[in-house]
Amino acid sequence: MGLEFLARVRTTSRWAGAVAALVMGRYLTPGDGLAVGFGVLWSLVNLFLIERLIVALTGPGHGQLPALRRVAWSVGGMLALFAAGAVLLTQLPPQSLVWGFLVPFAVLTLKAGSLLILGSQGWKRFARDPRRAAGLIVAVALAVWAVTPLLARAAGETSDTTHAATEAARPAAGQHGAGAQPGETHGASGAANHESGGHAESAGPQKFANFITVLSRAFPDQPWAHFLHQYEVVIFSLLLAFLIGLTAWFASRSARMIPGPFQNAVEALVEALYDFIVGILGPKHGPRYVPFLGTLFIYILAMNLFGLIPFMDSPTSSLNVTVALAITVFLYAQFIGLRELGLIGYLDHLAGNPRTVTQWALVPLMLPIHVMGELAKPISLSCRLFGNIFGEDMLLVAFVTLGITTLSFMHLPIGLPLQLPFLFLALLTSTLQALVFTVLSTIYFLLMLPHEEHGGEGEAHHAH
Amino acid sequence: MDFHAALGWGLPVGIGLAAIGSGIGLGGIGLGAMQAIGRQPEATAKIQLAMIIIAALAEALTIYAFVTMFLLSGKI
Repeated sequence: MGLEFLARVRTTSRWAGAVAALVMGRYLTPGDGLAVGFGVLWSLVNLFLIERLIVALTGPGHGQLPALRRVAWSVGGMLALFAAGAVLLTQLPPQSLVWGFLVPFAVLTLKAGSLLILGSQGWKRFARDPRRAAGLIVAVALAVWAVTPLLARAAGETSDTTHAATEAARPAAGQHGAGAQPGETHGASGAANHESGGHAESAGPQKFANFITVLSRAFPDQPWAHFLHQYEVVIFSLLLAFLIGLTAWFASRSARMIPGPFQNAVEALVEALYDFIVGILGPKHGPRYVPFLGTLFIYILAMNLFGLIPFMDSPTSSLNVTVALAITVFLYAQFIGLRELGLIGYLDHLAGNPRTVTQWALVPLMLPIHVMGELAKPISLSCRLFGNIFGEDMLLVAFVTLGITTLSFMHLPIGLPLQLPFLFLALLTSTLQALVFTVLSTIYFLLMLPHEEHGGEGEAHHAH
Repeated sequence: MDFHAALGWGLPVGIGLAAIGSGIGLGGIGLGAMQAIGRQPEATAKIQLAMIIIAALAEALTIYAFVTMFLLSGKI
C-alpha cells in the first residue's frame, strides 16, 4: 500500500465525488451538490498535502533545505485549507459537506478492505470453485433482499402501513403456493385479483396479476414498486425485445452449413417470412422490406403470446404499444412513398393520379379523402390489435372469475379451470392478429410502391 | 330514462348489433372464399390470404364497438 495505492484512491474518489455531486445537485438542491463537490475537493487536497508532508519528512534527502521548504509549504497549505473549510461550513449546507468530505475516506477503506480480502487464502479457495462463488453471491443477494424491507420498515413506518403491506403480501404468497399448471396458476392469480380487488386502486377493468402487480402489491409504499407498476408495459416489451435479440444472437452466433435443430427452426421461420413478404411485394422491392416486416411479425406474435405465460402480461393489451407500432408503420409507409415516388409523385398519388380533365376537377374532393384514408390506417391497425388482445384477456378473466365463483363455497384458493378451451382460442387469435398486422402493413407498403404491371392506374383503384 | 340507464341498455345492445353485422360480413367472405377455392383449388394460398385480410377488416368493426364499450362502461 504505497503511493501508487493512494493515487488510485484519488482517481476513484474524483469520479465517485463527481457522480455524487451531480446526483445530489439534481435530486436535492444545487447547493447540496455544490457542497458535496467542495467536500470531496477539500478532502482530496487534504490527503494530497498530508502525503507530501510525509514524503518530505521521511523520503530521501530529508532534513535538507529543499525538503524543509516543502514541509513548510505543506503545513502552510493545510492551515489555509482549514480556514477555507471553516468558510465553506458557514456558507454551504454542512451535512452535505460532511458527506462529501467522507467520500475519499470511504473509498480508501473499501479499497483497503477489498485488497485485504482478495489477497486472503479463504477468498482464493472460494474463487477457485465457480459453484462455491455462485453460492456466495446468491447468499449475499438473499441477505440483501431479506434485510432491505426490514431496514425500510425500521426507518419509520407507522404500524398500520406495515399491516397493509402484510395484508397485500398474503394473496401474493397464495399465488406462489398454487400448482405449476397454467390453469391452476391462472385460477389462483384470478383469486388474488378477486380478493384484493377491494383495496387496490382500480383504474379500468382488472387484468391477470403479473409479477409486477404482485411486487407493487407486496410493497405498496416503495417508490421503485410504483415506478415498475407505472412502466410495466414498457418493461415487458423491452424484456421481449431483449429475449428475441438473444435468440437471434444464439441462432446466428455459430452458423453452419449443416444446421443444428435450433438454427434449423430459426432458418425455417425466416425463410417462410421471406417467401411470404416477397410473394406480396414482388421480387424487385420485396427483399428490402423483409427485415422490418418480419421483425414486426415475430415481435407482435411474441408480445401476444406472452400474456399466456403465468405472471406475464401482453404488452399489446395496452393501447400505447399498438399505437406506437402503428405509427411506426405509418411513418415508414409515408417515407417509402416519398423515396420511391418523389415529392411530385407522392402528391400525385395522394390526389388520386389525375390524368383527364374530369379527374383534375375531382382533385379537391379526392385529396382530402385520400389524406383521411392514410390517417385512418394507423388508427384501424392499432385499435384492431389492441381490441383483440385485450378482449381475449378479458374473456379469460371473466371465465376464471366464473370458475372461482362456482367453487367459492369451499373457501379454497383454487377454481374450476373453465378458461381452458379459451386458451386455445387465445393462441389462435394471437397468431392471426400478428399475421393480420403484418399483412396489412405489407399492403400499405405495396400501395406506396410504384406498380410496373398496372401502369400506375391500379393504385387509385386499390386505395380505399 | 337517465344517462346511466340509457348507457346500461345501449352498450350490450350496441355490441350485439355490431357482432351481428360483422357476423353477416364474415359469412359472406367465407362463402365467397370457399366457392373460389372449390372452383380453383390451385389458388388456395392466394385466396386464403385475401380472405384473412378482408375478414380482419370486417371483424375490426366489432372490435371498435368492443373498445367503445370498454371506454364507456366505466361511466355506468
